[in-house]
Amino acid sequence: MTNHDVVSLLVTCQLAAPAATLALVGAPTLLGRPPSEQATTRIVGAGFTIGFLAGLITLGVLAVRGFVPEIVHFGSWFSVGHHEATIDLVADALSVPYVCFSTGLCALVNAFAGKYLHREPGFTRFFLLLALFGTGMNLMVLAGSIDVLFAGWELLGISSTLLIGFFLERGNAVRAALRAFTTYRVCDVGLLTAAVLVHRAVGSGDFEHLFGENWPNGTCLVPAATATIVSLLLVFAAMGKSAQVPFSGWLPLAMEGPTPSSAIFYGALSIHAGAYVLLRCEALLEQAWPARAALVVIGLGTALHANIVGRVQTDLKSMLAYASMTQAGLIFAEIGFGWRVIPLVHVVSHAILRSLQILRSPSALHDRHELEAALGGHPGADPWSIGKLLPERLQAMLYRIALDRGFEEMAVGRLIVAPFMRLLELAARLERRWLALLGGDPGPGGGRP
Amino acid sequence: MTEAMLLAAIVTVAVPLAAAAATALGAGGGRPRRIAVAAICAALASSLAISLLWSRTDGTPLAFGDRLGGGSVVFIDGITAVLLPYVAIVELAILLVAPRRALDAAAVARLLAGTAATFAIFLTSHPLVMVALWVATAFVTWVSVRVTPGGRPAARTFAIAMANAVTCMAVGTVLLLVDPPWTTAAGWVGTAGGWLVAVAVMIRKGIFPFHSWYPALFAGAPMSTALSATMPQVAAYTAVRLLIGHVDHPEGVAAELVVLAQLALVTAAYGAALAIVQRDLRSLIGTLAMSQSAMVLAGLAGTLPMELDGAFCVWVSSGLALTGIGLVTWALESRAGSISLDTPQGRFWDAPALAGFFLLFGLAGIGLPGTLSFVADDLIVSGTLDDHIHAGLLVIAATVLGGIAVMRGWFHVFGGPLAGDGPRHAILPRERVALTALLATLFLLGVWPDPLVRALDRATGRLLGVAAQEAATGGSHDPEAAAGLQDLPHGS
Repeated sequence: MTNHDVVSLLVTCQLAAPAATLALVGAPTLLGRPPSEQATTRIVGAGFTIGFLAGLITLGVLAVRGFVPEIVHFGSWFSVGHHEATIDLVADALSVPYVCFSTGLCALVNAFAGKYLHREPGFTRFFLLLALFGTGMNLMVLAGSIDVLFAGWELLGISSTLLIGFFLERGNAVRAALRAFTTYRVCDVGLLTAAVLVHRAVGSGDFEHLFGENWPNGTCLVPAATATIVSLLLVFAAMGKSAQVPFSGWLPLAMEGPTPSSAIFYGALSIHAGAYVLLRCEALLEQAWPARAALVVIGLGTALHANIVGRVQTDLKSMLAYASMTQAGLIFAEIGFGWRVIPLVHVVSHAILRSLQILRSPSALHDRHELEAALGGHPGADPWSIGKLLPERLQAMLYRIALDRGFEEMAVGRLIVAPFMRLLELAARLERRWLALLGGDPGPGGGRP
Repeated sequence: MTEAMLLAAIVTVAVPLAAAAATALGAGGGRPRRIAVAAICAALASSLAISLLWSRTDGTPLAFGDRLGGGSVVFIDGITAVLLPYVAIVELAILLVAPRRALDAAAVARLLAGTAATFAIFLTSHPLVMVALWVATAFVTWVSVRVTPGGRPAARTFAIAMANAVTCMAVGTVLLLVDPPWTTAAGWVGTAGGWLVAVAVMIRKGIFPFHSWYPALFAGAPMSTALSATMPQVAAYTAVRLLIGHVDHPEGVAAELVVLAQLALVTAAYGAALAIVQRDLRSLIGTLAMSQSAMVLAGLAGTLPMELDGAFCVWVSSGLALTGIGLVTWALESRAGSISLDTPQGRFWDAPALAGFFLLFGLAGIGLPGTLSFVADDLIVSGTLDDHIHAGLLVIAATVLGGIAVMRGWFHVFGGPLAGDGPRHAILPRERVALTALLATLFLLGVWPDPLVRALDRATGRLLGVAAQEAATGGSHDPEAAAGLQDLPHGS
């Protein structure tokens, strides 16, 4: 067995383990015999643990060999003429550490959720969606072609939407899920179009044909114009998943989901999916200064917006959502500045801290009481708040802006969504009138079998 | 092998027809579903036999009887081999899931007769036979809607649309036969014939501005009738045989195809957008079906094999997914009445298994990775973007808006608190079997799409004449198809 065979086997394990748990829990559930709570937690946990261990071993193997990338070819998925979708995975200095980090975090959240959601209606549904998310995440991270990356990206979006709307009985959860899905769907256009352009440019979706395989020192193999257009499309796609202005409104609403999923999605992994894609395609960004400039502007703008708005939030999860948004914005800016390792370190450290904060958020009052008991009183306000250094009029103005969430909702809602929906409602009304004219009097009777 | 294929073709049409006659005459007692399921199972087996036998041929279409010209009475090629099992699976699922009270002997007879006529359409390329079968399928559908309580408005709308479609089709076909544009330089008669057939296809496929009957049918007809009438997409098949197979691809397409493609693109995006603001579930399915049907036509009218392959994949994937959604809807309605989308209905707590199936079919219809629709979307978006950027953008818009509409539908049907303290409705075993089989088909074709895509590519290459051109220039798109191109009845 060669080194390549060993890495291939390990990479397959990283992907197959969470996918298998999806089938093991999903198939009996679909047939009306869902496994018990304990079995569900153990099966999904085992999948993530196997993925994590396989990732660690792969990391060791790669480290010994100086992080020379290994491409695992699973052959062609389908092909038509010059358009070929290949199933390629890549194990390199970016993907394998990221898989270890994501599967490790998923395993921890799995263990936490097993207790946290005990006897919750929809227990099995939660773990199925967690397994779907883990599969999608590993697929996206290990992707060696833009087709596979897009598949993983879509799974992330769908699992995120369904977990935001997990508490189906709550109207707010349903609305938040639809809002997030709409944002994802609109921004996914960027990745889909980028995938088509990549196929046109290099004849396949393989990253090795696009920018070589040596992350973070890849070489862009397409003309600068193509690289710029593809990069801008990738930035657009990343803005949706990573909640960058003006597509950030869904993130605080997304906290309607269960706390464990909020932690892993919006504190740790899903919020950084956009950053991961941009890091993966860093060689393209090197050739695309407009895209880098856009990243800096969008990232810093989002960080400023989220920082100001987050200060006036009155519930902890919203505050944490805006804190996540701030860091995601800074990471975007770092990628725009052309840095590679700093944003990666930032992603990992922020994800660990934020997911811990979100997981602890239900116990925040208890923690506060413990702190006050230990201090022997109220700890008091932070005397070093930057806001207090500003002139009072500016403070008042910023406060007003923050209360209205930077007018982002208002601008997007009033200028884009509302006119579009009014137009559709008008079209639907006219359609109904036309049908009434065509169909005439419904006559006696009603309903249908 | 030719005789075996011909025998299988006869079985595919004759068995459902015989079963329809037997059911109408009262055979089967009070359980007509059994006869119908047996007949469609036989048709499914024979259609799968046709697919298997065809896959072992050199790709040359099987053609019998073209006395009047313009096509063969029996015509089997790669497209037939894919579409026959697809129709059989859709009809079988409908029969298995249909509520008992909707399946009286007359309804079953109509369903089987319509299915036999649909099979027959997919086994012919003869224009006059197609006209006759258009009349037969439209008539069966109209009767089914007409006898439904409260179905008169839908029946009237359907009748107006189909009367116009059949008239255009009949006149257009005669004009095409009088002055065939595919044998000599067409005069004005042949050109007029082509345009009339194009208008007929537009009406029958519900292309803007002739789209209104589509949602009306879903709103007013039994779900079995609506699905049987729309999912096979006989007008798309007609377009393939009478319009697309006769133009000078890949240099360009006929003017009527250009107009068809543009209007189909607009309809695909418009239908998906309209689906977002529908106020009841049936209208949502109707507008989505209209959008997907238009997307199929938009792809078929393209000039690249990838577009046509994508269109056929959308045809099958959206058909199976929308059939699943329609059947789940029907199952829900049969338990607790019609379903509004104005506010969240809280049906999840009432029927969690059906909620799961609805979600999976919905996702399988909007490009969930691992399902056929992901492959279909990839091919059709890539193909249309390669061909014309505005076409690609409209297809993307349709995909995006369709996805939003499906998720809104799911959350509004199943989200929200349960109203009242109603009973929990378990899914029936036959429903579970049928829906699971449909889902399994979608996932199997999504995980392993290559055989389907290759079969379609071979057929579309032949249709477009690309094979011959590439073979002549030393390329090798599909040498087998190129070798057999001379046998095409109307190769351009």
